[in-house]
Amino acid sequence: MGFFDIFKKNKAEKTDKTAKPAKKEAEEKKATPRDAAAPATSGLPAVDLGELLPGAPKNGKIKLAIYWAAACGGCDVSLLDTNERILTIGDMADIVMWPIAADGKEKDIAAMGDQEITVSIINGAVRNSENEHMVKLLRQKSLLVISYGSCACFGGTPALANLVDGKDDILDYVYTKTPTTANFQEQCGHKSAPIIPQNSYQAPEGELTLPLLYDTVKSLDQVIDVDYSIPGCPPQQESIAVLLKALVDFVYNGVALPPKGTMIGVTTKTLCEECPRHKENRRITKICEPHEVDVDPELCLMDQGILCLGPATVGGCGAKCTRVGQPCRGCYGPTEVVQEQGASMFTAVASLFPVLEEDPTCSEDEIIDIMSTVKDPLGYFYAFSMSKALIKRKVSEKGGQ
Amino acid sequence: MADFEPKIVAFCCNWCSYAGADGAGVARLQMPTNFRIIRTMCSARIDPEFVLRAFSKGADGVIILGCHPADCHYIGGNYRARRRIALLRMVLEQYGFDPKRLRLEWVSASEGEKFQKTMVEFIDTIKALGPTPMKEE
Repeated sequence: MGFFDIFKKNKAEKTDKTAKPAKKEAEEKKATPRDAAAPATSGLPAVDLGELLPGAPKNGKIKLAIYWAAACGGCDVSLLDTNERILTIGDMADIVMWPIAADGKEKDIAAMGDQEITVSIINGAVRNSENEHMVKLLRQKSLLVISYGSCACFGGTPALANLVDGKDDILDYVYTKTPTTANFQEQCGHKSAPIIPQNSYQAPEGELTLPLLYDTVKSLDQVIDVDYSIPGCPPQQESIAVLLKALVDFVYNGVALPPKGTMIGVTTKTLCEECPRHKENRRITKICEPHEVDVDPELCLMDQGILCLGPATVGGCGAKCTRVGQPCRGCYGPTEVVQEQGASMFTAVASLFPVLEEDPTCSEDEIIDIMSTVKDPLGYFYAFSMSKALIKRKVSEKGGQ
Repeated sequence: MADFEPKIVAFCCNWCSYAGADGAGVARLQMPTNFRIIRTMCSARIDPEFVLRAFSKGADGVIILGCHPADCHYIGGNYRARRRIALLRMVLEQYGFDPKRLRLEWVSASEGEKFQKTMVEFIDTIKALGPTPMKEE
């Protein structure tokens, strides 16, 4: 622990030294009018990550597995947000699997007894046979499974793949239609029979296999039983702190864990409750992107015509995006009482459009013209929650008589 | 396909369309029995989630009936509703549904005949479109 004591001390000294000039600078900045326009990033309290872990627990180390299913990998990186505590996690737990950082393999997990792993943190949606096999295996071998990140909780960005016709459509597009692959297929003489990944291939050395891609991307809790969920893309430091505290209290002091099914790190109200921006409830007639307008740093983004999913998204992240002028994209998912995040969002958006003088006489087509300033409503409003929507994938009309 | 009897969910507002439907009944106007009416206080009470839920449970069509523009009991509820429905129709189209499966119509309390005509028309449209593309889970 010596290293950390020194580390902490150094850090404390450093902040002491730098504190004064920073204050001065702030005062100087205040004098300039530019400061008034600076986004209100302050006001966010520092996250309390708790004390460093006090060595090995009395009853021996717990076993921890972290798995990466269909996701970008940002969730794995976000676990490092525990600052220097990440270095002491090894005192508390044996990391039996963490594909990005540790050496545990599928066969090691398969050789374990049921419920031998204490906690499995799984990020990512389930979209192929390998994901499904691994999450089912980890469920069998673990006491607790934590669904970590928006992809695991709601399908996330991978679930937007549900809006095309199916896996063949995806493979066909990716391997024959994009300019790089189309050129390759043509130049190498595969245009008539394009090369597309196969699930199994008979090589001279033996059979090679690839996981089977599924037509529909599912969230983790649609495949296995999940104990806790932590939404976010990626989950914020606050959420990780809550999780870490619960685990540490449980392992070291025997404090009971939160009830099963708890959403960790979310509030009960929407993001708008946390957002420091000033709301005027203005009416809008045109939707624009943040780069198209001069974003007012104080005013609500919706008032400025920027489509922000704050009204339909649960709070807990501290409104970090809207504080810096970026609209909320809804990664924390809907509030507890709502199932359809997208539907509650377009209820909110539609209400922002003003009633026009010609409204009593205009036709439904004119209303569609007005509303078509919202581009790609399905993809935008369900950017993170497609797997949890009431209608989970694209349908195709058969055509009647 | 000849024996296809569509299931239709009809949302009627309390003040105009439900009374209109009542009027159609009192006047003994003949109508097919393919629709189930759900009464709401206003057409703006219809959350797009209700409509999506109806489609996800296998409804072949959803029709929303409200007061005529400028006639809303709550002054502007139907203006809100029509904007929502416009957006919802765009979403359904992106999902791959035929947008004709969702219809918005204005029926006042005295228009029993219009109610009957609208429903007959809508049921014919849905019959022509065939069963919902939504697969049963």
